[in-house]
Amino acid sequence: MEILIAGRGGQGILLLGHILGRAIAKHTNLYILGSEIYAAETRGGDSRVDLVVADREEDADFIKVMKADIAIFMHQLQLDAYKDLVRDGALVFIDKSNTTNIPQRNWKVYLEPYTDIAEKEIGNIRVANMVALGHLIKVTSIVPPEAVEDTIKEVVAREWVDVNIKAFRYYFSKS
Amino acid sequence: MRVDYITGNTAIAEAAIVAGLKFYAGYPITPSSDIFEYLARELPKHGGHVIQFEDEIASINAVIGASWACAKAMTATSGPGFSLMLEAISLAVITETPLVIAYVMRTGPSTGVPTRAGQYDVLQATYGFHGGLVIPVLAASTPQEAYDLTVKAFNVSEMLRTPVVLLTDATIAHTYGKVIMRERGELEIIERIRPLTPPDKYKPYEPVKEHVPAMACFGDGYNVLVESLTHDERGYYAPRTDVQRKLMWRLYRKIVDSAPKLFDYSAIGLEGCDYAFISYGSTALSAQVAAKMLREKGYRVGTLKLRTLYPIYEDGIRKLVSSAKKVFVIENNVGLYYRELRAILRDKEVVSVPIIDLDLPQPQEIVEVVKQWL
Repeated sequence: MEILIAGRGGQGILLLGHILGRAIAKHTNLYILGSEIYAAETRGGDSRVDLVVADREEDADFIKVMKADIAIFMHQLQLDAYKDLVRDGALVFIDKSNTTNIPQRNWKVYLEPYTDIAEKEIGNIRVANMVALGHLIKVTSIVPPEAVEDTIKEVVAREWVDVNIKAFRYYFSKS
Repeated sequence: MRVDYITGNTAIAEAAIVAGLKFYAGYPITPSSDIFEYLARELPKHGGHVIQFEDEIASINAVIGASWACAKAMTATSGPGFSLMLEAISLAVITETPLVIAYVMRTGPSTGVPTRAGQYDVLQATYGFHGGLVIPVLAASTPQEAYDLTVKAFNVSEMLRTPVVLLTDATIAHTYGKVIMRERGELEIIERIRPLTPPDKYKPYEPVKEHVPAMACFGDGYNVLVESLTHDERGYYAPRTDVQRKLMWRLYRKIVDSAPKLFDYSAIGLEGCDYAFISYGSTALSAQVAAKMLREKGYRVGTLKLRTLYPIYEDGIRKLVSSAKKVFVIENNVGLYYRELRAILRDKEVVSVPIIDLDLPQPQEIVEVVKQWL
């Protein structure tokens, strides 16, 4: 299984990918390799995480997504840039707040305003990444949500844990 | 046993601590620096020391000194830094000093593209130092292999009293992966042979096991001669052909004769294959995917990923690819290790597939190149 996470620098793409990768590695029996791409500038450039997940170690055999089964796009620029890396039938989570033009593909699309939710409902625009991650975990159940929360506690600086977990739980608290 | 999600560089640092590393000296260089940073933070908690020197020359010499004080010692660097270390590596070879160098390759020559990958230094890793001998080179392609091979690198260096190069590249350095970290007690940890003879009978360069002498360290109460001149078994300078012959052949044999013991690889689908892909390091990932793509199209392609590059176990490699009509050597350089394999696989066609890429070579590109030869 291949997971692609892409957006612009500053949207927390690398943190999202790291937390998901780490939760899969430490809390499931799956094998995983993950790679990161980020631009030299702090904000605005390309940010992308590729995760390759498999039941057997020898099948987690590449570090780049060839055809993603699951994708998160947090911005129009990366949606346009990487849409061809997503296979037909993939689950694709798109931040409606930062996109206007959704390509016509044979995907199962979840179009949700992650950034607006983070800003207006959670109270911090910076946790849009965790809102999206929560949605992905709720839909796919790749990892138990508790495992993701444990990982957030491990990775995120203490003063930011609560708001990240609140954002992560957003879709779980909705019926 | 611990399970973590770490990069190749972190895996090397973690494994070095488990293997018993007690001294690290280095000079920062991309893409190896995070090994240094990680150890600076973690090694002191395990009773070890980390020091930054003014350059790579001082660093490797300090590592040699620490090893003679019986500390397991290492450094990490990349191409330009390794070039500076070469003279001292020769010193470590003739003085039979166990040490490990993590060599994280980047795009060269010279400063090239310092943050990106390549496999240009695979021959330099063993042939770069002067004196015409061989040092073991192990190559990792994933964080898990980086962990396992770091432990092995220390074991080999202790067992054979030799510098060992652990070869990775910028891709592996910063790739994350699930790593199952076996701890002390779950792993074989080899320590150098120490002298059992009393100090007045001890000959510091007299082989006691498979060409390897027992090593007394500073402070053990023995006369310790760290001799870079051609020396006899007592460690005395002896500028004579018979002494030089004996020393050279022993230093050569102790490495080359260990080839079967050191041989490490993974093979997929080689039995009965028509075509074999041989690769190593990060490019092996691309080669495995390319082979899978060709198998899906009906070609009988097997892959051999070499984790031991030197010494070369000729019979082992020959046997593994014996059914293949053609062997493709896939690497991210102008076709370097191909020369080694062409020399040992003389009875079949060996094709070089050199794909220069700042990232991992794309499996599709490998397929396109190889298909012309199928």
